[in-house]
Amino acid sequence: MVEYFIRRLLLTIPTFLGSTFVVFLIVQLAPGGPLEQQIQALKRGGETAGAGLVGEQALPKDAIEELKRFYGFDKPIWQRYLIWLGVWKREAKSYRIKPGVPRLVGDNERLILVKEGESFVLRNAADPSRPIGDWKWRQERDEETGEVRYRVYREAYSGILTGDFGRSYRFRKPVIELIAERLPVSIQFGIISFVLSYAISVYLGVQKALRHNTPFDFATSSAVFMTYSIPGWAIGAVLLVLFATDRFFPIFPLGGFEDPLYTDFSLLEKIWDRAWHFVLPTIAYTAGSFALLTMLMKNSLIETLSQDYIRTAFAKGIREERVIWLHAMRNSIIPITANIGYVIGIFFAGSYLIERVFDIQGIGQLSFEALVARDYPIVFAFTVISVVVTLIGSILSDLALALVDPRIRFK
Amino acid sequence: MAEVHTQPAEQSSAPQSSSEEILSIQQRRWRKFRSLKRGYYSLLVLLAAYIVSFFLPLLVNNRALVVHFNGKTYFPAVRDLLDLPIVGQLGGTPFIAGEELGQMGNKSECNYRALKRQYEQEGKGNYVIMPPYPFGPIEDISVEGNEPFMPPLSRTAFGELRLFGTDDRGRDVFARMAYGFQISFSFALLVATLSYLIGVPLGALMGYFGRWFDLLMQRFMEIWGSLPFLFLIIIVVSIVRPSFFVLVLLLVIFSWLGIAQQMRAQFYREKTRDYTAAAISIGVPTWRILLRHILPNSLVPIITFFPFAVVGDIGSLVSLDFLGFGLAPPTPSWGEMVSIGMDNLTNGYWWLVLVPLGALFVTLMLVVFIGEAVREAFDPKTFSRLR
Repeated sequence: MVEYFIRRLLLTIPTFLGSTFVVFLIVQLAPGGPLEQQIQALKRGGETAGAGLVGEQALPKDAIEELKRFYGFDKPIWQRYLIWLGVWKREAKSYRIKPGVPRLVGDNERLILVKEGESFVLRNAADPSRPIGDWKWRQERDEETGEVRYRVYREAYSGILTGDFGRSYRFRKPVIELIAERLPVSIQFGIISFVLSYAISVYLGVQKALRHNTPFDFATSSAVFMTYSIPGWAIGAVLLVLFATDRFFPIFPLGGFEDPLYTDFSLLEKIWDRAWHFVLPTIAYTAGSFALLTMLMKNSLIETLSQDYIRTAFAKGIREERVIWLHAMRNSIIPITANIGYVIGIFFAGSYLIERVFDIQGIGQLSFEALVARDYPIVFAFTVISVVVTLIGSILSDLALALVDPRIRFK
Repeated sequence: MAEVHTQPAEQSSAPQSSSEEILSIQQRRWRKFRSLKRGYYSLLVLLAAYIVSFFLPLLVNNRALVVHFNGKTYFPAVRDLLDLPIVGQLGGTPFIAGEELGQMGNKSECNYRALKRQYEQEGKGNYVIMPPYPFGPIEDISVEGNEPFMPPLSRTAFGELRLFGTDDRGRDVFARMAYGFQISFSFALLVATLSYLIGVPLGALMGYFGRWFDLLMQRFMEIWGSLPFLFLIIIVVSIVRPSFFVLVLLLVIFSWLGIAQQMRAQFYREKTRDYTAAAISIGVPTWRILLRHILPNSLVPIITFFPFAVVGDIGSLVSLDFLGFGLAPPTPSWGEMVSIGMDNLTNGYWWLVLVPLGALFVTLMLVVFIGEAVREAFDPKTFSRLR
């Protein structure tokens, strides 16, 4: 068993590499890739700084080269991928330097390029005897003018494996920070809707199984099928029109996560306000997931109830509730635990469709807007997260299954 | 794939005497299906609606059915029949300029509703016959008489009824809803069918041959399956604005996986059965074993899944359209209609959201009812509760 799960974990590594590489490839090869985006951003920035007089001014060649070097576009794509992963050295800092002229590189450190025989040597400008760290230098030639230039640089491993997801183009902030800001909203919805959908589906599933083929069963089946087939955001949109706009029953707020005056509220008001804003989105979130679980629960319980050991239990004269909740449920609950591993998904549960409908600034909105604006560091971060969540989720599900059902043995 | 249950099984047995009638399994399934009234009637309604939707250009259109002008007869609406997505997009329909039909000074497309009024006033024996619902899905505020945000059941300045009102650009909501049904349903049927055409053979081969082919494909599918597919579709769509068929292919690329997995498991199981061993030992060619012996025994789970695949695909299209990454505008689509409605939510234009979503709900419900009945007919489970 343990071996099996270790093997599963190890197998996720090639899958992770494979799928991130595919996404990387698509994004890099697509027109309007990260480099073009950044150049565009710089151009726009230049325009506004230059009071729009310059118009569509070409970026200095130097700057473009700088960017290319930063994104590693002078390297083949597999190398770029490794750099992005963080297992290949990236040119972390680099500065132009003139021989004999000291150059400030970061924390009060000055370097100087000294001629020594035929070649140059890099020295600390203040005190030539002090070490210069891992700074290196190289010579380069301008392709047009043929002028020889020098450059000092430092390399470092920095990529997603070292926890460096890069900086957002638009927000000019580390991606990790941005995600951390938005996470609480999505986690709250994730947890509430997770608990709700399991609670509802277990209860409803049991009731439907016990009253199989009764009007109650048919009526709830229709509701269950409806929520199964209709996307959660569509249900949300209908609820919003019916229960939030002035036209029908304006009971709930039109959207958002909290009242604009939220910070001025007392604690009780805060809780009330939050709950008020939560009702409709939570229904939308829950509706999507409880239908399948309910049917699973019902079918599984019905099957268990027709087994011999249940008959024996009834024959012994045990009360019905006890038979159902103690004897039958133990076996019936197994199928619905098969999905429980995806519980880790609730931390990133932000569906951007639902968040867009309700105008919630959660994680889904962040990723969607990043996608639209081609803010690639964020897009990549979300790809990595979603791939990891899917992979780990399926392993956790197997683990949960093995825990609740001792008959299941994975090999 | 879906023919299996509709296939009449006459060839297998002639009708027998009523009490001891011998029925093929297909006949029994069909009977069972018909006995499930909710699913059966859903099928009839949906089938009828879909067939009618191919004739939408004759029923709901701003182009006239017949124009008789100075002894010549034109049929502008008929050409639109060939413009529906599943029939084939033949490029823009060439239109008849207003001037040609006597609308003075109108060099762009003729406004047939105005033309009708004009002919009636002139009384020269020219006539226009409009479709029963004389508004098209694309004509907007640029056409005289169209106003934005007309509420449902209101009438235009010329007394024409707007069943479900108009949207922000003065386009008719009912017309867009009706054409949206045609497009959504065609789209989902195509995606589901194509992904079955890819998934079934691939899954079958994986399950039957196993070994390196299976191993390699499994890894590939695992990688493919872990990709955030909506993400990728949006990336691709934001680069190239897809046509109807490109969008179909994009969805197929991701939706064949589940079907292949199912088929693989089925073939894997059936391969070890005695009848397969028997077939191999008497020298039945491999393709025959696959097609004639194992395939029919493996189809039940995926046939019963077909309606649910259609449901999922309709949902995907509507979601993509809602986000603005679906079909190129001004294609009438439910998702785009909802997004217009959501943008104008605070103004009380409820019909912009509720009409397309109502159509979506009804359509999906019908398909799900059919799916439930199909499942019941193919895989009847009788439960006996002992108390």
